Amino acid sequence: MKQQTKLSEEQQQQQHAAEQQTQKQSAREFANAEEMLRYDAAHTTVPPDIARRLQKSTVDLPGPKTAWWRRLFGGTNQ
Amino acid sequence: MASAEFSSLYAENSRAIFYLALRFLGDPQKAEDATHDVFLKAFRKLDQFRGEASLRTWLYRIAINHCQNLRQGWHDRHVFSNADDAVWENAMAGTDSPLRVLEIKELGQRIQKTLEGLPDEYRLLLLLVADEELSYEQVGALVGQSPDAVRGKLHRARKTFAALFKKTA
Repeated sequence: MKQQTKLSEEQQQQQHAAEQQTQKQSAREFANAEEMLRYDAAHTTVPPDIARRLQKSTVDLPGPKTAWWRRLFGGTNQ
Repeated sequence: MASAEFSSLYAENSRAIFYLALRFLGDPQKAEDATHDVFLKAFRKLDQFRGEASLRTWLYRIAINHCQNLRQGWHDRHVFSNADDAVWENAMAGTDSPLRVLEIKELGQRIQKTLEGLPDEYRLLLLLVADEELSYEQVGALVGQSPDAVRGKLHRARKTFAALFKKTA
């Protein structure tokens, strides 16, 4: 009986420790507003329609006159 | 897309720009339109990009001006966002389980409600600081403040956000 009580106490302690750990984890999950926003942003999907619409919108437009990415990353303009 | 380079520019920055528009405008459909318009402007103005700022900062500047103009226009015409649940759900990642989606949706709604209660200055500041690719100097340049002023205002913005967020529970 005493052994059962001890076991039960140990189980309670473990459960309590586990609960505390969970609380700590959820408290740590978002230390500030930016962390929460980062998490939210990471779970936001960019609608694929935007890329499709952009493709249509830019197809008839002249491209940049200079190879701007070469200006940025080095190399010669074509 | 017109070029592989523009495609790459879009791939690397579209989430950041869409997220800023989504949380700044509070309407997924309007955020979609705004993101399209921002990248179209960027495509047309690529020649004007002088490389003094990072591409991400340059795109943010276009996006901030665009979103602020939209909000001013709504304010003048008294137009308010009326996005329905289906549109919000489509703006969330499709790979999450229904429970996860519900959690994220609820969190997103609370974040949106909280951001809408903040002054525009704090809302923009938090959204920009949340982008880990931006330094305080870059955020300061985007909001017209010194890096020290950004740090000071960020502290107040965090406190206000936390207080308002609790009220959304």
